[in-house]
Amino acid sequence: MQRNHPVGEGRRVAVTGIGAVCGLGWGAASLWEGLRAGRPGISSFHRFDHSRHRTHLAAEAGEPPESFVRSCPGWRRLSITDRFALFAAREAVERAGLALPLGEEAEAGVYFGSSTGGMYESELFFERFLRDRRGRLSSLIPQQVNAPGDAVARHLGSTGPVATFSSACASGALALGAALDAVRSGEVELAVAGGSDSLCQLTYAGFNALRSVDEVPCRPFRAGRAGMSFGEGAAVLVLEPLERALARGAEPLAMLAGAGASCDAHHMTAPDPSGEGAAAALEAALADAGLPPEAVGFVNVHGTGTPLNDAAEWQALKKVFGERAGELPLIATKALIGHLLGCSGAIEAVATVLCLHHGELHPVARAGEADPELPVNLVLDEPLPVPGGRAAVSTSLAFGGSNAALVFSPWGDQAA
Amino acid sequence: MSEPVLITGLGTLGAWGGGSERLAAALAAGAPLAREVDRSAGYHLPHGARRACLVPPGELAGWLSPGEARRMSPPSKLAVTAARMALRCAGIASEGGDEAGTAVVIATAFGPSSNTETLLKQILDEGPEAASPSLFMESVANAPAAQIAIALKARGASVTVCEREAGPLIALGTGAAEIAAGRAGRVLAGAVDEMTPLLHALLDRFGALAREGEDGEELARPFGRRRNGFLAGEGGTVVVLESAASLAARGGRALARVLARGSAFDPTAPPSGWGHGHKALARSLRRTLERAGLKPGDVGLVVSGASGAREGDRLEAEVLRAVWEGGPLPPVAAPKAVMGEYGGGHLGAAVLAAAGSSLGPTPGFAEEDPELGITPLDGPLREAPSVVLATSLAAGGAAAWVVLGRG
Amino acid sequence: MSEAVAATPDRIKRLIVESLNLEGMRPEMIEDEAPLFGEGLGLDSVDALELVVALEKEFGIRIKSQEIGREVFSSVSTLSQFIEGRT
Repeated sequence: MQRNHPVGEGRRVAVTGIGAVCGLGWGAASLWEGLRAGRPGISSFHRFDHSRHRTHLAAEAGEPPESFVRSCPGWRRLSITDRFALFAAREAVERAGLALPLGEEAEAGVYFGSSTGGMYESELFFERFLRDRRGRLSSLIPQQVNAPGDAVARHLGSTGPVATFSSACASGALALGAALDAVRSGEVELAVAGGSDSLCQLTYAGFNALRSVDEVPCRPFRAGRAGMSFGEGAAVLVLEPLERALARGAEPLAMLAGAGASCDAHHMTAPDPSGEGAAAALEAALADAGLPPEAVGFVNVHGTGTPLNDAAEWQALKKVFGERAGELPLIATKALIGHLLGCSGAIEAVATVLCLHHGELHPVARAGEADPELPVNLVLDEPLPVPGGRAAVSTSLAFGGSNAALVFSPWGDQAA
Repeated sequence: MSEPVLITGLGTLGAWGGGSERLAAALAAGAPLAREVDRSAGYHLPHGARRACLVPPGELAGWLSPGEARRMSPPSKLAVTAARMALRCAGIASEGGDEAGTAVVIATAFGPSSNTETLLKQILDEGPEAASPSLFMESVANAPAAQIAIALKARGASVTVCEREAGPLIALGTGAAEIAAGRAGRVLAGAVDEMTPLLHALLDRFGALAREGEDGEELARPFGRRRNGFLAGEGGTVVVLESAASLAARGGRALARVLARGSAFDPTAPPSGWGHGHKALARSLRRTLERAGLKPGDVGLVVSGASGAREGDRLEAEVLRAVWEGGPLPPVAAPKAVMGEYGGGHLGAAVLAAAGSSLGPTPGFAEEDPELGITPLDGPLREAPSVVLATSLAAGGAAAWVVLGRG
Repeated sequence: MSEAVAATPDRIKRLIVESLNLEGMRPEMIEDEAPLFGEGLGLDSVDALELVVALEKEFGIRIKSQEIGREVFSSVSTLSQFIEGRT
């Protein structure tokens, strides 16, 4: 999908708030601290009994802060995914300097991505119901994938457009793309966009059945990589027109400059090895941002750590960035927080914004050897300063072939 | 919208059979398409709902090759078939795959539910190691959209929307926005859902479905005084959206056009019900009309999402009353009385109405609810409307509408 | 107590037809040496994984991810040798 907004047409869109929950902790500060240290949050987990599953690791989000549990209305009826989403949304809205309920901002649009919704709680219901036709029906209420996004809209008191996207690993990025469109076009004056997913047996068993999961923490782009690692959590970004943000004294964390999407149309599980589909999404995003590939300083790769996905992504990077592809710093966030499925595009967007805002690229721990087939410049071991003034791209290449890419540009001291 | 968005094809399968002519005939006849659900698994309550609007067997014949259908979930089969039907209706050959720049936007409320159910049983009864990889890959909500893209080699954006009863019009609106903004020349937009016995039984246990009333019949009674729930349905509906330039380049005719789209949310809604936020919803609907340069008085027909749900229809009536500011409403159709909720039948009905098809009487409706004051269509309109407003309100709070005009 | 158990290749052929939903195909139609993936039956990577689940269940074994490769899975014959080596 080519987005042909000429530069200057439509409003510039600022990211004024971010919130996050994941295996590195509750809160964007915990996320940044863990990312910057290159600390992998992937280890054994307790959400459910995994002794009979084929693998045994995940980046599980720990217990929520007491203050949030106490202050969150209807806590007991919410699914874990809902709780993640509400925490992240609240944090993002507070960071943006907006009070709840949104009051005159009540026309805020909410754009969300999820793969699992309340499936974890539903599994508990089904375990009983499928056996003896009994169970607490109320645990099914938050089952829908649109439940966390709706919960956020309800919590914010929003009356604007609300939509949940569920295109597997591209969901969060597509939600951000929809939010960008809505703000840019003036359909909304404020957008709250993000995603939420939790660990559950269905996805855990499913990806394991596809033998896509590594027995050790995933090693994106490295030799001997053998699959993905699971993660869970939520991420939310507040987007608004730049002029509006500045007028109310809000400081942008970064700018969301463009979005692009495409489809491999190749196979339900395997990516198109040529990387053409992924490249098309990347190019569409850059065109939407009005930026050439040379303007990009680093890429937050999809980088799941599966042999095929990383190889296809490398082909895509070569197509788009040509000879620079091997030098361009790549940040592989999934190595630290795992794959958050539908939420991944959103939390990796937050990670990208954090890197731009702090002026540093987060590393991942060096794992094994470099893969000679994929001569990439992964940021390893130590944070790297962000190449001055340059934009960032975040890619999400999904199951089923749906691809999405986002372009962020720096603001303030970090801008050129 | 800047660029006119044309609807050039409609493909649809559901309880009405296969094809838009069958849907048009079913709507004109105005008889409910519900039949008995298989209750042999014992999920159902003894005195619960027993009927749903199900796709008759054999409707997919000839549209899918055995090789491609082998691993497809039922919603994927419906979606690919509906997409091929839509392209054929539009006069576009689909075998060669000239859909490189085509985007696909599909809504589903529940995703591939039978695959999910079987997977859960495998995992919970036999153990995680028994999980089937091909069932899993076809259990994700975006499987239907992905399969459409693979079948047609459609390499534009692939988007799956999940927003329950508001999903189909959000998908249509999202697809139309792509065309209007010049980002795609062609979009396949629609909705798909499958109604399994388990899903039916659970919806009924939540009290959502129509049950036998005093007259002994299980019927959806949209806006009716004795309404007590909706009829569950299933199916797949896809429309071809094109820019005027795309249509001119290949020659052809449009069935209808998208004049405006909008969506909103009612934060007073509980997660599986409807709230009382009709004022803000009505504001959004009025603004949607204004964006098309229209006033409420220009609307010739409302194709309402009213389904017989007690609270849903109540809210629908409140929104319509608020938009028309207490004045007389235009004729209001409630096609879900015929084909139930889910599967895109309502979307299909709206497109057909805009294309000049005549909608018939509303089965199940016997007596107006004095609190709502709306009597849905009791027969065909004398004149085909030139502006059709389609509305939908989801349980949980989401709302979406689309304004359609003649082709 | 033992029952007459069909030969391993026959059991594998039955599993292929059943677990992969190959309509119109009967186990007898699959030749022992015929290529299963790519050409021949034209099965793909997901079919291989589906077959793995069925084989594990039928023969009571666990097949490691590294073992799911072209050599073992190239024909009913090679699969049969692999299974018999493991049971």
